[in-house]
Formats: sequence, C-alpha cells, structure tokens
Amino acid sequence: MSVEIKLSRPNRVYSPDEPLEGKVITKLSSSISHYGIRLTVDGSVNLQVRGGSAGVIESLAGVIKPIRIVNKSIEIRSSGKISSGTTEIPFSMILRHPGEGNLEKFYETYHGSNISIQYLVTVDIVRGYLHKSFSATSEFIIGSGKAELLESPDSSELVMFYMTQDTQRHPLLPELKSGGFLVTGKIPTQCSLSDPLIGELTVEASVVPIHSIDIHLVRVESILVGERIVTESSLIQTTQIADGDIRRGLTLPIYVMLPRLLTCPTVLAGPFSIEFKVTIVVSFHSELQKLHPKSDPRTPRLWLAMETLPLELIRTR
Amino acid sequence: MEFRNRDYVAEAKIHSLTRSNADSHPLSASYPSFQVEIIDDEKNDIADPLRALSCNVAHPFEDFPDVHNASTSALSNDDATQILAKDWTTFKRLLMQRFPSSKMVSISSIAAALLKSGKTHEKSSGIHVDELDDPEGSAEQDVKLISRTEYISRLSELKNEVGHAWHTDDRITSLKLSIKVARLLMDTTVLQFYPTSFSLATDILDMLGDMVWERIKQKVEFQEDGTQLCSLPEDFQASDICSDAKETCFNWFCKIGSIRELLPRIYLELAILPCWRFLVDRPADVLHRLVLMMRGLADPLASAYCHLYMAHRAQKLLSSDKGYLITCIIEINAMMKPIISPKEATDERSLKSKQIRVSLVEPAIEYILKCIFKDPQQQVSNILVELGLGQNPSELLGRSLFISVIVHHLLKELPVEVISGNAVNILRHIEFSNDSSFDQCMNFRLFGFRLSERKCSEDVVHAILDMLIQFISQYTNLEEYLRVVDGYVDIVLQNQMKTHLQVILEGIATRACKKWMADSELENLQSIFLKILSHLNCIEDALELDHFIDILDVMRGKSRNNISMHILDMATRNDYISHPTTIQFLSEVAQGLHDVTNSLNMMDEDNQRLRHLLSRFIQMVDYGTAMEHNLAFLVESRGAFAFADELKETLVHSGNRLAIKAMKDAKVQLSFVRSCLAFCEVTIPSISSGIKQLNLYLETAEVALACGLVCHSDGLIDSALSSLRSLALSSDSQRRIDTDCIISAVQKLCSLLVIVPGNPKFGVAGIPKSLLSLANSPSSITPRLRAKISFAIALMSSALSQNKLPYHASSTEVFGNDLLFFGDSSYRQELVSLSHCILQNMLDVIQQESSQVVRGNLALEACNCIASTLPMNNETLPICAKLMDLARSCLSADNAYLQSTSKFLDSWSWISTTTAATTTGCYQAHPDFSQPV
Repeated sequence: MSVEIKLSRPNRVYSPDEPLEGKVITKLSSSISHYGIRLTVDGSVNLQVRGGSAGVIESLAGVIKPIRIVNKSIEIRSSGKISSGTTEIPFSMILRHPGEGNLEKFYETYHGSNISIQYLVTVDIVRGYLHKSFSATSEFIIGSGKAELLESPDSSELVMFYMTQDTQRHPLLPELKSGGFLVTGKIPTQCSLSDPLIGELTVEASVVPIHSIDIHLVRVESILVGERIVTESSLIQTTQIADGDIRRGLTLPIYVMLPRLLTCPTVLAGPFSIEFKVTIVVSFHSELQKLHPKSDPRTPRLWLAMETLPLELIRTR
Repeated sequence: MEFRNRDYVAEAKIHSLTRSNADSHPLSASYPSFQVEIIDDEKNDIADPLRALSCNVAHPFEDFPDVHNASTSALSNDDATQILAKDWTTFKRLLMQRFPSSKMVSISSIAAALLKSGKTHEKSSGIHVDELDDPEGSAEQDVKLISRTEYISRLSELKNEVGHAWHTDDRITSLKLSIKVARLLMDTTVLQFYPTSFSLATDILDMLGDMVWERIKQKVEFQEDGTQLCSLPEDFQASDICSDAKETCFNWFCKIGSIRELLPRIYLELAILPCWRFLVDRPADVLHRLVLMMRGLADPLASAYCHLYMAHRAQKLLSSDKGYLITCIIEINAMMKPIISPKEATDERSLKSKQIRVSLVEPAIEYILKCIFKDPQQQVSNILVELGLGQNPSELLGRSLFISVIVHHLLKELPVEVISGNAVNILRHIEFSNDSSFDQCMNFRLFGFRLSERKCSEDVVHAILDMLIQFISQYTNLEEYLRVVDGYVDIVLQNQMKTHLQVILEGIATRACKKWMADSELENLQSIFLKILSHLNCIEDALELDHFIDILDVMRGKSRNNISMHILDMATRNDYISHPTTIQFLSEVAQGLHDVTNSLNMMDEDNQRLRHLLSRFIQMVDYGTAMEHNLAFLVESRGAFAFADELKETLVHSGNRLAIKAMKDAKVQLSFVRSCLAFCEVTIPSISSGIKQLNLYLETAEVALACGLVCHSDGLIDSALSSLRSLALSSDSQRRIDTDCIISAVQKLCSLLVIVPGNPKFGVAGIPKSLLSLANSPSSITPRLRAKISFAIALMSSALSQNKLPYHASSTEVFGNDLLFFGDSSYRQELVSLSHCILQNMLDVIQQESSQVVRGNLALEACNCIASTLPMNNETLPICAKLMDLARSCLSADNAYLQSTSKFLDSWSWISTTTAATTTGCYQAHPDFSQPV
C-alpha cells in the first residue's frame, strides 16, 4: 500500500513558468474508493535566527514566521475508485499564471544555514472518516523562470585586486610586515550560477614562502528581525589554487565550480537577503600555524593575508 | 707367393663416380648471376643462400615503420586504446622498477591518516637521537613509518573498495575513496617511493574515470528500463548527448570541483577528463586550463607527475592538439630551473636530494616528450617553434632555454630530419644548457649519435664539428672528452674529415697520456677505437694516424685486449702482411695480448679467439722474397707467443710452407730449406698432443722429401714412428677417441713410405716391420687398430712390389724404390714375407675385436685387402672363406658391403673394392697448405 509522486524530470528542476508535471503512482493490494485526489504545491521561505549576531532573545525566539511564496491546490481526480495493483495518475499543474504578475516572487530553491527556500508538492487521497487518507510529499526545485534570465555577465566586469602588507587590517607577522609581499589578480563581481568563477591571481613578490592560496566562497544571509537586521556569513566552499611556495610572477587561474543548491541567485528581498562574497586568503609559512591546526580559515591570523570581494550570482541562459 | 700386378690408374678410373656438368652452382640462388651482382659490391664471389635471403628481406624491413604506422591507423579505435593502455601499463611497471625503495616508507602523518592503517608505528624511540644529527628533524616530526608492502596492499584494498562501492551503486563512496587516494599523492616526502605510489594511485583513478565514462555512456545509450536507444559513435559530438546524461556528467564535475585541495582536484578531473567530451566539443581547452592550474603546485615532483598523468589521460580525448603537452614541458622546465641552478645550496646533502628529485622527475619528462612526438601528424617544425627551439640561440644571450635533462630527452625523441635540419641551432642549445640535471657531455654525445643517423650536408657537418671541437677543447676531463668524441667519430669517419680526426686524436692523447685511465674511460676509448678501426680499410691507415699508437700504449686491461684483437683481426682479414713496420707493430700487439693472457684469467672463448687470431696472424705474415726475415719472424713468434698447440702447429705449417716456397725459388739455397726444416723439427716436440706431433712429423717429412732431403725425411719418419709408438702404447683414456686419428696417421705414413727410398741400413722393410711389431705388441692396443695397421702395411707392400710405383716424390733427386731395387728379388721377398706374416695373423686379430659390427666390417675389409693385393690361391682362399664366414656371422645378410664383397670374391676379379683403394689412393705428392677455414 504505497503512494508516491514521480516528477517528470529526474533532476526535479522546474521553472515557475513551466507546468509541474509528473504522476502519482499508487500500489495497492485491494481497490479503494476515495473522495478525490488533491495535489498541493507549497513554497515558502523559512527563516531562523540562531547564534551569530542575533541577540539572546531572538535566538530564544528561534523560528520567525515563514514567508509563503505559493500555496495552491487542485483536484486531479474527483471521487471514485482506484483499482488494486499499480496505478499511475498523471498530473500537470501550472505554478504561476501569467496574469499573477510579481505578487508572488518565485525565489529559487536554496538551502542555507538560516534561510531556506523550499518547494514541496503533496498528494492527498481523501477517504471517508473511517479510513486513513493516503498522502505523499516530494520536494521539487525551482530554477528561475525564463523571462527573468539575464545575459551572461561580461568578462569586462572583472575587478582588479591588490594585496600587500599594507592592505591588511589585521596584525601580521613581523617578517611579513618587514619583508612585504604583493599579490595581484582579477576576479569577476558577477558570475553566472551555471559557470565556474574564473579569474586569475599572481604572486608578484613575497619574501616569506607561501604555504597555500585558497579561494573561500562565503554566503551572507540577512534576516529582518523586528527593527534589526541579523546577518550571518558562512563558508560554503574552499578551493585551493596554490599549494606550496609557487613561483613568483606566475599567473594562476582562479577556477571555482559553484556548488549547486548551496548557491542561488543573489536575493535582496525585503525581509531577507542572500548575498555572496569571495575571500582570497594567502597563507604564509609560519611555525605558528602548526599551533592552530583547526581554526576557521576566515579568522584573521598573523600569517594570513586576505581580500574579500562581493560576488553577485545570477541565473543566466 | 707373389703380389698381384696392379694398374692403379685403371682402378681409380673404374671406381670413381661418373661426373656430369652441373647447370648451376649448388650454393647460388635460383637466379644466380643476377642476384650476386646486386647483393654487394664487395669481392664476395660466393653467393651463399643466407646472404641472398637477407637481401630479400632487407626491403620489407626498411618499409617496416610505415607498415607499422599504417597498421596502427587502420586499427579500430578500440585497439588503439588497448595499445595505449598497454603502453601505460609497461611504463608504470618500468617506473616502479626504476626506483626501488627501501622496505619502510616514511610518510607524512596526514598520508598515514588517509591510509588509516592501524599498524603505523611512530618513530618514537629513535626520533630524539635522530634530531640531534639532523637539523631538519624538527620539521619532520610528524613522520610515520609504514612498510612498503603494507602501503601497496592498503592501496590495492582501496581499489577493491572503490570498485565494490561503485558496483553496489554507492558511487559517492567510491568517489570519496578515490579522492582519498589522490590526496596520497600530495605527500612527496616519500621520494623514491613516489613513482610507486603514483602508479598505484593512478591505477585507482583510471578505474574510477573509466567507470564514470561507462556510466554516462550508458545513460546516453540506454533508457532507464534498459532498452537501448542508440549506439554512440566513436567520434560523437556533445550535441548527440541527451540532457539527462549531460546533467549527470556535469554533476560529476561539480562534485570534483568542490574538492578543497588543488592536487586531488586536478587528479580527479584528469581521471574523468574524457567525460568532457559529453559536454563540450572542444575539450582540448580544458587541458589548457588544467595545465595552468598545475602552476599552483609548487612541489616539482608532484607537479611533474601531475603533468605526466595528464599526458596519459589526455590521450583518451583523441585530440591531435599537442599544445598543452608543450606547455607541460615548458612549465616543468621553468619549475626545475631554480632547483638545479648552481646558486642553490651546494652542500653534499642537498645536492644529493636534488639529484634524486631530478631523477624522479625524468620519467615524466620522458613520457610527455614521447607523447609529443608520437604521431608526427602535426608539423614538427611547429612543435619546435612552440618549444622555442626554432629561434636563433644567439638571441638567448647565452641563457639556456631548457634544462639539460629535457634537452636530453628532446634529442632522443626529435625526428632525425629535424635534428639534421636544425643541427647548428640545436648544438647551440645544448651548449647553453649546462646544469646539474644532466651531464652536458652526454647530450653532446647523444646529439652526435642522432646526427649520424642520417647523412647531413658537408657544410653542416663541418660547422658542427668545428664548433664542437672548439667547445670540447676546454674540457680537461678525459672522460667527458671521450664521451663526446665517441658520439662524433662516426660522422668524422663517414665524411672523411681527416684533419678533424687528427685533432680529436691529439685531444685524446694530450688528456690521456699523463694519467692512469679509469675503466669507464677505457670503455669509451675502446668504443672510439673500434669505430675508427672498423671504418679504415687496412691497419696501415690506422698506423698513419698521429697519436694512434701513443694512445694505444696508454690503454690497458680488457679494453686494450679488445682493441688489440680487433687490430689483429683487421690486419689479417684480407691480405698478406708484408710491411716490416706493420709486422713489427702487430707483433708487439700480439705479444701484449699474449702477455695478458698469461697474467689474466681470460674467458675460454676469448682465449680461443686469441689463439685463432694469433695463428691467423702468423699465417698471414709474408715477407715476400725476404724469406730469411720470414723465418726469423717465425722463430721470434715461437719465442714470443707460441703458448698453445694451435699456434705451434701453425708455426710448423708456416715453416713447411716457407720451405716449399724456398725450394721453388731457384735463388734460395738449400741450406735455407734445411733451416726451415730444422725449425719445424725443433718446434714439433714442444707440442703436447701426440697426434698433432705425429701428423706434423709426417707433413715435415713429406716436405723434406719433396725438397730432396732424404736424410731429413728419414729422421722425421723415425721421430714420427717413435711418437706413434708412444701414442699407441700410452694407456691414456683419450686414446679411444684418437684411434681413428692414429689409423689415418698410420695410413698416411704407409702411403708416404711408398715413395721413401728404402734405407739399406735397416733393410727396405725396416719401417713397416717396426710398425708391425708395434701392432703385434701385447700392449693394450685395440684389435681394430692392429687390423687396420696390418691392412695398411699389406697395401703398401703391394704397392712397393709393383714394377712401377703408383707415384713418386716430386723432387728429381729422390729415386723411388722401383728404380733403386729394380729386379732385386730379395727386396720383393722381404715384402712378401711381411704380408705373409700379416696374412697369418689377420684372422686372429679380427676375432679379438669385441664389437660384432666392427668385427664383421674388419673381416670384409681384410677380404678386400687380400683379394686386391694377392692372387687367389690355395693359401689365400681358405683365409678369405673363413673371413667371409666370420663376416656373415656378424653382419646381417642384406648388408651392402657384405654383398658386394662376396660378389667381388665370387667373380674372381682382381680389381679391389673402393675401400681398399682409399688407403693408398688419397696420397698427394705435395701437402696441401691451404689455409684452415
């Protein structure tokens, strides 16, 4: 006795403009009668505040009321009977009618630490009071609608960055301070989600040997709680681009694949926002490093040089 | 009793086979005259079948590379990939063998954790002691030891785990395990073990990559329920791939892209590199990106092997673009340069670790360069330009473009036409690349070898050698000088650059003559000399070269022996040696060789070759009309190097030849002939082998007789007899084998005795008698030998009793017995009584023979002997009858010899059978001094 939803696409990705298609599959040992089969789509932004910059009270308050994006229900079959064995009931549901305009913003599916945007489709087979209803739920993923797609960003939108001992806002090792270093590079400020982040980096000079160069992809989630904005940033992915004391003056490619689901187009909505940043961290050889083997890589340390740049993620064609 | 009268000429005529003209030479090929001319221009008048064959084979052999290429291109892609896989497997195996590591491998603690093997034991006790001597000890604190076998077994375990996880649809686990494996390659502290670790790890990565490829391919070709949609062609386009498969493929790249560390990320992407073909049509761009990403790997070892893995995996992309490989080489070169630059620390330890690192990186360079030049579809000149070798080296201002180890492998791989086309440029590049990664002189040398593979224009060759000689003139080290020169000797000789050769030899001489040469130097020198010698036509040309002898003089040991042997071989190969200086030189060479043989334990084979060479040398010396010199030479040689029987034998032969030659020359006095004979006579006793002595005595006796010196020949025959006696009587175990030799010697002696004038002092039958008494002596002499001696004496007696001897001595001064004893009845009587005596004993002797077959044959031979020498009468018939009975009892009835003998006896014919004739018929008045072959 089981009911499941099988969506038409194995990757379960749909755009808001497309109908959500699939079938309800029932596997029954004996035939049943029902009062109708209903399909419900529910999309919401779930927000929660914990730790981070939130105060004690807010964190106690915990979950903030979710923002509903969509809640629709249709009957895909009126009351009747389902015979025993395997039965497939196809369905198709329009998520957004063209006339509905921007009232409901279909944000892309996103699972973050404080914010998650989730879309669920539920099927209910309602039976009389004496019988238990059957239901099944499945998550589907919303990618941006075609109409909202932007052109691929221009490669000209690369920003140059310079890192020297003087650009660092935290204390450095004395030998770094005195010896000096210069790391330059280019990185885009806007990047398509389907493309890797491509830039370049050159260690022009450094007296202290380099240990590693990493690119951290950081997301910044902000939630409006009452009058305050609670912001928390978390590390999504670290990508090493240099391992060891590389040659000076050599241009290294920055090539970072963006993790799916952990990223989404940058969202700046009223009650919440999801933004991204790129942090370039050059770590120099230091004995001190061994004393802190497992620290947050974003914590400024004496042997680290860092540069953080904002990154706007967009969905493109 | 009388002997039969025999007409030997008639008998020979009857028994010889009829001759007929042959249409073709039995050894020539089917189209003799035509073929012979083609085969070679040398003075080979014998066209042997082997040579003809090799000529036929030569053509397809030259075409071989083409055939090979054609076949590979004709192969289906499947086979091509199989060949690739095979190549890679061989390469990996060689790689592992090349760097054998100790039993224990020290790995970093991170790697140890990855291996998660329970049994890693820390160097707890030893570490403090180590730290004291080891200033860097503190840095290596977290080093763990693990045994090599454990490491290997752990990796093969991991491989099984990866495979298992995959097949149970737990693909994420197999990916995670593979990443773990790839992380192991970050640890380059294992040094010598790194290649092994690389081979094992890439094995796992290859497996994963292939599995991913198959999975996505299956997604394209099959529906979820297993029905086949299509079959993907080999050269599919990205547009042929359904979006579902693309999605899966892209997911893989995303997963791999999320690996934090650079090295494992690159390795994993390389593992699934072929899958880019599902996504993009020009996956070659990916390669360029990956090469650039590898710049982030600061460790040269890790980086080089990463490049190596790329060269391997990229072959699966079926792209003909080689640009990325060229970039690989340039990158590796740039990375290695600072390591090997002389400025870096120069203490011994770091120098050694540097060398180890270079040697570890070398296979990667080798493989990548091989890949670049694998199929020369792309214009090689393009490759050269891209490598930067196309530019004029003078623009480099003396800076090296490539480190020498790369130059070395480039030289190895570059096609010949490129080498000869850019010779001057390449030489400049070699000149500039002088660093510790590879010995520069070896590059010069290799260049020489490559250059000599194809004929270059004369100008180029001259330019090259002028540059080279100028360059190596700065070398003070002999070994380096020799190594370089060795590479160019061929070119110099082929182009007949006499002055250059002289300069080179002078260079060697000035460097070699002051010092004690090391073995490796000698080896190089030997190689050079062998080349020079094999190029020159005759030894005189070599002697004309300045310094040749000087250098030869400073050589020693095995190399010198080899050269000496080669010189002797060369000198004696073609013509007689007549020039006194040459002979003098060669004598010294031979003397040197001989001295070495005495002091060193030479291999048996070498020794035999040496003996052969020396005797050949003795034979080939010919002073022409200055025969006294020739004899003097023989005497000297005997004193100098006649250490073996073979040589003494040759000396005697030469002495005899000289005597014959002198005799023919009217101007030479008889006394010279005597001295030749005397030389032989005194030389023979020093030969240890009795048989050889005997034969040489006989030969010399013949020569003496031919020269009319009866006295000498008598004395020699006497000596022969006594040596025969001692030979026959000696209870040496060797004797059984020698019996045949003894028999033939006795037969020869008997045939010689036919022409020796009877000595009145001992009576005409003196010698035969003593022979007979020897045969009848109650010693351990075999019945067969005894019987054979009897037959020989009987036949000889028969010949002597003829009115006219079958042959005479060639000298007119020696009279035959037919003249000396004409009409002397006592002479005949003596002979008859001799054979009578033989006749009586014959049956008894034969019956003593133990072997049945031999007994039968001897009986038949006796019959034939009797029948052909004596008339059949009451005296001989019963004996013959008995002998035939004996033969019948011993041999089967259908034995051909038995049948023909019985027919012969029955017919009462007086003509002897061929067997009997052989005893006397083979004699020739002059010994044949043809050269041994």
